[in-house]
Amino acid sequence: MLEVRNGGFETTVQDYPGRIGMLSLGFAPAGPMDDYAFRFANVLVGNPPGAAGLEITAGGLAVAFHDERAFAVCGADMDARLNGQRIELWRSYRARPGDLLELDYLQGPGFRTYLTVSGGIEVPPVLDSRATYLPGSVGGLDGRKLQAGDRLPLGEPSVDLGRVIDRRVRANLVPGYPGYNEVWEVEATRGPQADPDYMTSEDMDAFFAHHWKLDAASNRTGYRLDIYRWQWARTSGGAGGGHPSNIIDNGYPVGAVNVCGDQPIILCVDGPTLGGFICNAVVAKAAMWKLGQMVPGWSYIHFKEVSLEQAIDLLARQDTTISEENLERS
Amino acid sequence: MAERTIRSPLPGIFYRRPSPDAEPFVKEGDVIQPGAVIGLVGVMKTFHEITADSGGRVVRFLVENEEPIRPGQEIVVLTDAGTE
Repeated sequence: MLEVRNGGFETTVQDYPGRIGMLSLGFAPAGPMDDYAFRFANVLVGNPPGAAGLEITAGGLAVAFHDERAFAVCGADMDARLNGQRIELWRSYRARPGDLLELDYLQGPGFRTYLTVSGGIEVPPVLDSRATYLPGSVGGLDGRKLQAGDRLPLGEPSVDLGRVIDRRVRANLVPGYPGYNEVWEVEATRGPQADPDYMTSEDMDAFFAHHWKLDAASNRTGYRLDIYRWQWARTSGGAGGGHPSNIIDNGYPVGAVNVCGDQPIILCVDGPTLGGFICNAVVAKAAMWKLGQMVPGWSYIHFKEVSLEQAIDLLARQDTTISEENLERS
Repeated sequence: MAERTIRSPLPGIFYRRPSPDAEPFVKEGDVIQPGAVIGLVGVMKTFHEITADSGGRVVRFLVENEEPIRPGQEIVVLTDAGTE
Protein backbone atom coordinates (compact mmCIF):
# COMPACT_ATOMS: atom_id res chain seq x y z
CA MET A 1 0.00 0.00 0.00
CA LEU A 2 1.15 3.49 -0.83
CA GLU A 3 -0.14 6.22 1.47
CA VAL A 4 -0.63 9.69 -0.04
CA ARG A 5 0.43 12.45 2.35
CA ASN A 6 0.09 15.27 -0.17
CA GLY A 7 -1.64 14.85 -3.53
CA GLY A 8 0.15 17.82 -5.04
CA PHE A 9 -1.25 19.89 -7.83
CA GLU A 10 -2.66 17.16 -10.09
CA THR A 11 -1.58 13.58 -9.51
CA THR A 12 -3.47 10.70 -11.12
CA VAL A 13 -3.15 6.94 -11.51
CA GLN A 14 -2.44 6.09 -15.16
CA ASP A 15 -1.62 3.00 -17.17
CA TYR A 16 -0.45 2.55 -20.77
CA PRO A 17 -1.89 2.52 -23.39
CA GLY A 18 -4.98 3.38 -21.35
CA ARG A 19 -8.58 2.60 -22.19
CA ILE A 20 -8.09 1.91 -25.88
CA GLY A 21 -10.56 0.62 -28.43
CA MET A 22 -13.44 2.72 -27.12
CA LEU A 23 -13.27 5.93 -29.14
CA SER A 24 -16.49 4.83 -30.88
CA LEU A 25 -18.18 4.78 -27.46
CA GLY A 26 -16.93 8.27 -26.63
CA PHE A 27 -14.07 7.16 -24.37
CA ALA A 28 -10.72 8.84 -24.76
CA PRO A 29 -7.84 6.50 -23.89
CA ALA A 30 -6.44 8.62 -21.02
CA GLY A 31 -3.07 7.20 -19.88
CA PRO A 32 0.20 9.08 -19.30
CA MET A 33 0.83 12.31 -21.25
CA ASP A 34 4.54 11.36 -21.40
CA ASP A 35 4.42 7.63 -22.08
CA TYR A 36 8.19 7.52 -22.75
CA ALA A 37 9.11 8.47 -19.17
CA PHE A 38 6.18 6.43 -17.83
CA ARG A 39 7.14 3.20 -19.60
CA PHE A 40 10.83 3.52 -18.75
CA ALA A 41 9.88 4.10 -15.09
CA ASN A 42 8.01 0.78 -15.17
CA VAL A 43 10.82 -1.12 -16.89
CA LEU A 44 13.26 0.19 -14.26
CA VAL A 45 11.31 -1.46 -11.41
CA GLY A 46 10.69 -4.73 -13.29
CA ASN A 47 7.04 -4.06 -14.18
CA PRO A 48 5.45 -4.51 -17.60
CA PRO A 49 5.92 -1.12 -19.38
CA GLY A 50 2.19 -0.35 -19.17
CA ALA A 51 1.61 -1.15 -15.45
CA ALA A 52 -0.28 1.46 -13.45
CA GLY A 53 1.81 4.24 -11.90
CA LEU A 54 1.37 7.88 -10.95
CA GLU A 55 1.44 10.92 -13.20
CA ILE A 56 2.54 13.96 -11.19
CA THR A 57 1.81 17.27 -12.88
CA ALA A 58 3.69 20.41 -11.80
CA GLY A 59 4.83 18.86 -8.51
CA GLY A 60 3.89 18.65 -4.89
CA LEU A 61 3.41 14.91 -4.23
CA ALA A 62 4.34 13.17 -0.96
CA VAL A 63 3.83 9.42 -0.44
CA ALA A 64 4.77 7.04 2.39
CA PHE A 65 5.73 3.44 1.67
CA HIS A 66 4.26 0.68 3.84
CA ASP A 67 6.08 -2.20 2.11
CA GLU A 68 9.57 -2.87 0.83
CA ARG A 69 9.44 -2.00 -2.87
CA ALA A 70 11.51 -0.87 -5.81
CA PHE A 71 10.47 2.53 -7.16
CA ALA A 72 11.58 4.95 -9.87
CA VAL A 73 10.86 8.58 -10.75
CA CYS A 74 11.22 9.58 -14.42
CA GLY A 75 10.45 12.88 -16.13
CA ALA A 76 10.66 16.50 -15.01
CA ASP A 77 12.90 17.48 -12.08
CA MET A 78 10.76 18.20 -8.99
CA ASP A 79 13.60 17.83 -6.45
CA ALA A 80 12.50 14.28 -5.52
CA ARG A 81 13.72 13.28 -2.07
CA LEU A 82 13.59 9.97 -0.18
CA ASN A 83 13.61 10.68 3.56
CA GLY A 84 15.06 14.10 2.77
CA GLN A 85 17.89 12.76 0.58
CA ARG A 86 17.83 13.90 -3.02
CA ILE A 87 17.40 11.03 -5.49
CA GLU A 88 18.22 10.79 -9.19
CA LEU A 89 15.64 10.63 -11.92
CA TRP A 90 15.62 7.71 -14.42
CA ARG A 91 16.97 5.33 -11.75
CA SER A 92 15.44 2.63 -9.53
CA TYR A 93 15.73 2.67 -5.74
CA ARG A 94 14.70 0.54 -2.78
CA ALA A 95 12.01 1.90 -0.43
CA ARG A 96 11.47 0.41 3.02
CA PRO A 97 8.32 0.53 5.19
CA GLY A 98 8.00 4.04 6.65
CA ASP A 99 10.08 5.71 3.93
CA LEU A 100 8.76 9.06 2.70
CA LEU A 101 9.12 10.18 -0.92
CA GLU A 102 8.54 13.91 -1.46
CA LEU A 103 8.42 16.00 -4.62
CA ASP A 104 8.58 19.79 -4.62
CA TYR A 105 7.69 22.18 -7.43
CA LEU A 106 9.30 22.15 -10.89
CA GLN A 107 13.03 22.87 -10.76
CA GLY A 108 13.63 23.37 -14.48
CA PRO A 109 12.28 22.40 -17.91
CA GLY A 110 9.55 19.77 -18.19
CA PHE A 111 6.10 19.64 -16.61
CA ARG A 112 5.27 16.08 -15.52
CA THR A 113 7.04 13.28 -13.74
CA TYR A 114 6.13 9.64 -13.15
CA LEU A 115 6.39 7.43 -10.08
CA THR A 116 6.28 3.67 -10.53
CA VAL A 117 6.43 1.03 -7.79
CA SER A 118 7.30 -2.64 -8.28
CA GLY A 119 4.07 -4.62 -8.52
CA GLY A 120 2.22 -1.60 -9.90
CA ILE A 121 -0.76 0.23 -8.46
CA GLU A 122 -3.74 -2.10 -8.23
CA VAL A 123 -6.80 0.11 -8.20
CA PRO A 124 -9.75 -1.75 -9.77
CA PRO A 125 -9.66 -1.65 -13.60
CA VAL A 126 -12.62 0.06 -15.27
CA LEU A 127 -13.32 -1.11 -18.84
CA ASP A 128 -10.00 -3.00 -18.73
CA SER A 129 -7.82 -0.04 -17.70
CA ARG A 130 -6.68 1.65 -14.48
CA ALA A 131 -6.05 4.97 -16.26
CA THR A 132 -7.79 8.01 -14.76
CA TYR A 133 -10.03 9.88 -17.20
CA LEU A 134 -10.65 13.07 -15.25
CA PRO A 135 -13.34 14.66 -17.48
CA GLY A 136 -15.47 11.52 -17.09
CA SER A 137 -14.51 10.75 -13.46
CA VAL A 138 -13.59 7.23 -14.57
CA GLY A 139 -10.74 4.90 -13.56
CA GLY A 140 -7.79 5.47 -11.26
CA LEU A 141 -8.81 6.09 -7.66
CA ASP A 142 -12.55 6.95 -7.73
CA GLY A 143 -12.03 8.73 -11.08
CA ARG A 144 -10.28 11.69 -9.47
CA LYS A 145 -6.88 13.18 -8.73
CA LEU A 146 -5.15 12.05 -5.54
CA GLN A 147 -5.38 13.82 -2.19
CA ALA A 148 -3.86 13.47 1.27
CA GLY A 149 -5.16 10.37 3.06
CA ASP A 150 -5.59 8.25 -0.07
CA ARG A 151 -4.31 4.69 0.20
CA LEU A 152 -3.25 3.02 -3.05
CA PRO A 153 -3.19 -0.81 -3.15
CA LEU A 154 -0.10 -2.33 -4.77
CA GLY A 155 0.23 -5.54 -6.76
CA GLU A 156 2.66 -8.39 -6.07
CA PRO A 157 6.06 -7.74 -7.66
CA SER A 158 6.90 -10.39 -10.24
CA VAL A 159 10.70 -10.23 -9.82
CA ASP A 160 13.07 -10.10 -6.83
CA LEU A 161 13.69 -6.63 -5.49
CA GLY A 162 17.46 -7.09 -5.57
CA ARG A 163 17.39 -7.58 -9.33
CA VAL A 164 15.62 -4.33 -10.12
CA ILE A 165 17.04 -1.72 -7.74
CA ASP A 166 19.99 0.54 -8.52
CA ARG A 167 19.45 0.49 -12.26
CA ARG A 168 19.62 3.49 -14.58
CA VAL A 169 18.33 4.33 -18.02
CA ARG A 170 21.33 4.77 -20.35
CA ALA A 171 22.31 8.45 -20.33
CA ASN A 172 21.93 8.87 -24.12
CA LEU A 173 18.27 7.80 -23.82
CA VAL A 174 17.35 10.34 -21.13
CA PRO A 175 15.70 13.18 -23.04
CA GLY A 176 16.78 16.78 -22.56
CA TYR A 177 13.72 19.04 -22.44
CA PRO A 178 13.71 22.43 -24.21
CA GLY A 179 13.56 25.25 -21.67
CA TYR A 180 11.07 28.04 -21.11
CA ASN A 181 10.42 30.09 -24.28
CA GLU A 182 12.17 27.40 -26.32
CA VAL A 183 10.89 25.33 -29.23
CA TRP A 184 9.97 21.63 -29.21
CA GLU A 185 10.19 19.84 -32.54
CA VAL A 186 7.15 17.57 -32.87
CA GLU A 187 6.78 15.04 -35.69
CA ALA A 188 3.33 15.11 -37.32
CA THR A 189 1.60 13.66 -40.38
CA ARG A 190 -0.44 15.80 -42.80
CA GLY A 191 -4.23 15.50 -42.84
CA PRO A 192 -6.78 13.91 -42.67
CA GLN A 193 -8.30 17.31 -43.63
CA ALA A 194 -5.52 19.42 -45.09
CA ASP A 195 -4.69 20.81 -48.56
CA PRO A 196 -5.98 21.16 -51.17
CA ASP A 197 -9.58 20.44 -50.09
CA TYR A 198 -9.77 22.29 -46.77
CA MET A 199 -6.66 24.45 -46.48
CA THR A 200 -4.42 25.98 -49.12
CA SER A 201 -0.89 24.67 -49.62
CA GLU A 202 0.32 28.04 -48.26
CA ASP A 203 -1.70 27.36 -45.09
CA MET A 204 -0.01 23.98 -44.67
CA ASP A 205 3.44 25.45 -45.41
CA ALA A 206 2.80 28.01 -42.69
CA PHE A 207 1.55 25.31 -40.34
CA PHE A 208 4.81 23.35 -40.67
CA ALA A 209 6.98 26.50 -40.47
CA HIS A 210 5.41 28.52 -37.65
CA HIS A 211 6.58 28.32 -34.03
CA TRP A 212 3.28 27.81 -32.23
CA LYS A 213 2.96 29.16 -28.70
CA LEU A 214 1.37 26.76 -26.22
CA ASP A 215 -1.38 28.58 -24.33
CA ALA A 216 -1.53 28.47 -20.52
CA ALA A 217 -5.10 27.10 -20.84
CA SER A 218 -3.80 23.72 -22.04
CA ASN A 219 -4.37 20.42 -20.25
CA ARG A 220 -4.76 16.68 -20.82
CA THR A 221 -7.83 17.36 -22.96
CA GLY A 222 -6.36 19.84 -25.41
CA TYR A 223 -3.23 21.90 -26.09
CA ARG A 224 -4.31 25.29 -27.39
CA LEU A 225 -2.03 27.04 -29.88
CA ASP A 226 -2.14 30.62 -31.10
CA ILE A 227 -4.91 31.84 -33.39
CA TYR A 228 -3.70 32.05 -36.98
CA ARG A 229 -5.12 33.87 -40.01
CA TRP A 230 -5.58 30.95 -42.43
CA GLN A 231 -6.41 31.47 -46.12
CA TRP A 232 -8.75 28.44 -46.19
CA ALA A 233 -9.55 26.59 -49.42
CA ARG A 234 -13.31 27.00 -48.92
CA THR A 235 -15.46 29.98 -48.06
CA SER A 236 -17.69 28.03 -45.66
CA GLY A 237 -18.09 24.59 -44.14
CA GLY A 238 -21.09 23.84 -46.37
CA ALA A 239 -23.45 21.35 -44.71
CA GLY A 240 -21.00 21.23 -41.77
CA GLY A 241 -21.44 24.87 -40.76
CA GLY A 242 -20.73 28.48 -41.62
CA HIS A 243 -16.98 28.62 -40.98
CA PRO A 244 -14.52 26.93 -43.38
CA SER A 245 -13.11 24.96 -40.42
CA ASN A 246 -16.51 23.24 -40.05
CA ILE A 247 -17.22 19.78 -41.45
CA ILE A 248 -19.97 17.25 -40.82
CA ASP A 249 -19.13 15.59 -37.49
CA ASN A 250 -16.54 12.83 -37.73
CA GLY A 251 -14.22 10.87 -35.46
CA TYR A 252 -11.02 12.53 -34.20
CA PRO A 253 -7.68 10.72 -33.93
CA VAL A 254 -5.77 11.04 -30.63
CA GLY A 255 -3.08 13.65 -31.23
CA ALA A 256 -5.01 15.39 -34.00
CA VAL A 257 -4.43 19.09 -34.59
CA ASN A 258 -8.06 20.19 -34.52
CA VAL A 259 -8.58 23.60 -36.12
CA CYS A 260 -11.61 25.19 -34.42
CA GLY A 261 -12.37 28.37 -36.28
CA ASP A 262 -8.90 29.86 -36.63
CA GLN A 263 -7.45 28.24 -33.50
CA PRO A 264 -5.49 24.96 -33.68
CA ILE A 265 -5.85 22.71 -30.63
CA ILE A 266 -3.94 19.44 -30.26
CA LEU A 267 -6.34 16.80 -28.94
CA CYS A 268 -4.50 15.00 -26.14
CA VAL A 269 -5.12 11.68 -24.38
CA ASP A 270 -8.28 12.95 -22.61
CA GLY A 271 -9.51 14.76 -25.74
CA PRO A 272 -12.89 14.66 -27.48
CA THR A 273 -13.52 11.62 -29.68
CA LEU A 274 -15.58 13.30 -32.41
CA GLY A 275 -16.73 16.67 -33.63
CA GLY A 276 -17.27 18.96 -36.56
CA PHE A 277 -13.95 20.74 -37.14
CA ILE A 278 -11.16 19.80 -39.50
CA CYS A 279 -7.95 18.11 -38.31
CA ASN A 280 -5.14 19.33 -40.56
CA ALA A 281 -2.40 17.14 -39.01
CA VAL A 282 -1.87 14.39 -36.43
CA VAL A 283 1.05 14.23 -34.00
CA ALA A 284 3.05 11.02 -34.51
CA LYS A 285 2.34 8.61 -31.64
CA ALA A 286 6.07 8.40 -30.91
CA ALA A 287 6.12 12.19 -30.42
CA MET A 288 3.11 12.42 -28.11
CA TRP A 289 5.34 12.16 -25.03
CA LYS A 290 6.80 15.58 -25.83
CA LEU A 291 3.42 17.20 -25.19
CA GLY A 292 3.56 15.87 -21.64
CA GLN A 293 6.74 17.82 -20.89
CA MET A 294 5.81 21.14 -22.48
CA VAL A 295 4.99 23.96 -20.09
CA PRO A 296 1.60 25.60 -20.72
CA GLY A 297 2.08 29.32 -21.32
CA TRP A 298 5.81 28.96 -22.07
CA SER A 299 6.65 26.31 -24.66
CA TYR A 300 6.68 26.66 -28.44
CA ILE A 301 6.00 23.89 -30.98
CA HIS A 302 7.48 23.43 -34.42
CA PHE A 303 5.67 20.66 -36.33
CA LYS A 304 8.04 18.61 -38.48
CA GLU A 305 6.23 16.79 -41.26
CA VAL A 306 6.74 13.03 -41.45
CA SER A 307 5.09 10.43 -43.66
CA LEU A 308 2.83 7.74 -42.20
CA GLU A 309 5.61 5.20 -42.80
CA GLN A 310 8.11 7.36 -40.92
CA ALA A 311 5.65 7.78 -38.04
CA ILE A 312 5.17 4.00 -37.83
CA ASP A 313 8.94 3.50 -37.91
CA LEU A 314 9.48 6.07 -35.14
CA LEU A 315 6.98 4.20 -32.96
CA ALA A 316 8.58 0.81 -33.63
CA ARG A 317 11.99 2.21 -32.71
CA GLN A 318 10.60 3.83 -29.55
CA ASP A 319 8.91 0.59 -28.45
CA THR A 320 12.20 -1.27 -28.94
CA THR A 321 14.17 1.38 -27.06
CA ILE A 322 12.06 1.14 -23.91
CA SER A 323 13.46 -2.17 -22.67
CA GLU A 324 15.64 -3.86 -20.06
CA GLU A 325 18.54 -3.90 -22.55
CA ASN A 326 18.79 -0.14 -22.25
CA LEU A 327 19.24 -0.12 -18.48
CA GLU A 328 22.57 -0.30 -16.70
CA ARG A 329 23.62 -1.00 -13.14
CA SER A 330 24.27 2.16 -11.11
CA MET B 1 13.47 44.94 9.04
CA ALA B 2 13.49 41.49 7.52
CA GLU B 3 12.16 41.40 3.99
CA ARG B 4 11.06 38.09 2.53
CA THR B 5 9.34 36.98 -0.63
CA ILE B 6 6.46 34.69 -1.49
CA ARG B 7 7.02 32.48 -4.52
CA SER B 8 4.65 30.73 -6.88
CA PRO B 9 5.10 26.95 -6.97
CA LEU B 10 3.40 26.86 -10.38
CA PRO B 11 3.98 28.20 -13.86
CA GLY B 12 1.05 30.04 -15.47
CA ILE B 13 -0.59 33.45 -15.64
CA PHE B 14 -0.57 35.50 -12.42
CA TYR B 15 -3.71 37.38 -11.38
CA ARG B 16 -3.92 39.90 -8.54
CA ARG B 17 -7.73 39.98 -8.51
CA PRO B 18 -10.37 37.25 -8.01
CA SER B 19 -12.21 38.60 -11.07
CA PRO B 20 -11.51 41.40 -13.57
CA ASP B 21 -13.83 43.90 -11.84
CA ALA B 22 -12.92 43.02 -8.25
CA GLU B 23 -10.45 44.72 -5.91
CA PRO B 24 -6.99 43.11 -5.68
CA PHE B 25 -6.61 40.39 -3.04
CA VAL B 26 -3.95 42.50 -1.29
CA LYS B 27 -2.39 45.90 -1.93
CA GLU B 28 0.93 47.47 -1.11
CA GLY B 29 0.87 48.53 2.56
CA ASP B 30 -1.71 45.92 3.64
CA VAL B 31 -0.96 43.84 6.70
CA ILE B 32 -1.76 40.20 5.95
CA GLN B 33 -2.09 37.09 8.10
CA PRO B 34 -0.43 33.73 7.40
CA GLY B 35 -2.53 31.83 4.86
CA ALA B 36 -3.86 35.00 3.19
CA VAL B 37 -4.47 34.69 -0.54
CA ILE B 38 -2.20 37.08 -2.44
CA GLY B 39 -3.14 36.09 -5.98
CA LEU B 40 -4.14 33.36 -8.42
CA VAL B 41 -2.16 31.39 -10.96
CA GLY B 42 -4.16 30.27 -13.98
CA VAL B 43 -2.85 27.19 -15.73
CA MET B 44 -4.50 24.16 -17.41
CA LYS B 45 -7.88 25.95 -17.31
CA THR B 46 -7.92 26.09 -13.51
CA PHE B 47 -7.02 28.76 -10.95
CA HIS B 48 -4.80 28.08 -7.97
CA GLU B 49 -4.46 30.34 -4.96
CA ILE B 50 -1.05 31.61 -3.94
CA THR B 51 -1.05 32.03 -0.15
CA ALA B 52 1.31 33.71 2.28
CA ASP B 53 3.24 31.19 4.39
CA SER B 54 3.83 33.90 7.00
CA GLY B 55 2.12 37.18 7.86
CA GLY B 56 3.50 40.69 7.39
CA ARG B 57 3.15 43.96 5.56
CA VAL B 58 3.06 43.94 1.75
CA VAL B 59 6.00 46.01 0.49
CA ARG B 60 5.71 45.53 -3.28
CA PHE B 61 4.72 43.13 -6.03
CA LEU B 62 7.47 41.82 -8.30
CA VAL B 63 5.02 40.57 -10.96
CA GLU B 64 2.40 42.49 -12.92
CA ASN B 65 -1.22 41.42 -13.10
CA GLU B 66 -1.72 38.84 -15.90
CA GLU B 67 2.03 38.36 -16.35
CA PRO B 68 3.28 34.83 -17.23
CA ILE B 69 5.30 33.38 -14.35
CA ARG B 70 7.70 30.49 -13.88
CA PRO B 71 7.68 27.94 -11.06
CA GLY B 72 9.53 29.34 -8.06
CA GLN B 73 9.26 32.93 -9.30
CA GLU B 74 9.11 35.59 -6.56
CA ILE B 75 5.69 37.27 -6.50
CA VAL B 76 5.56 39.69 -3.58
CA VAL B 77 7.88 41.17 -0.95
CA LEU B 78 6.72 41.21 2.70
CA THR B 79 8.23 42.81 5.75
CA ASP B 80 7.42 42.46 9.46
CA ALA B 81 4.19 44.31 10.23
CA GLY B 82 4.75 47.58 12.03
CA THR B 83 8.31 48.10 10.79
CA GLU B 84 8.48 50.68 8.06
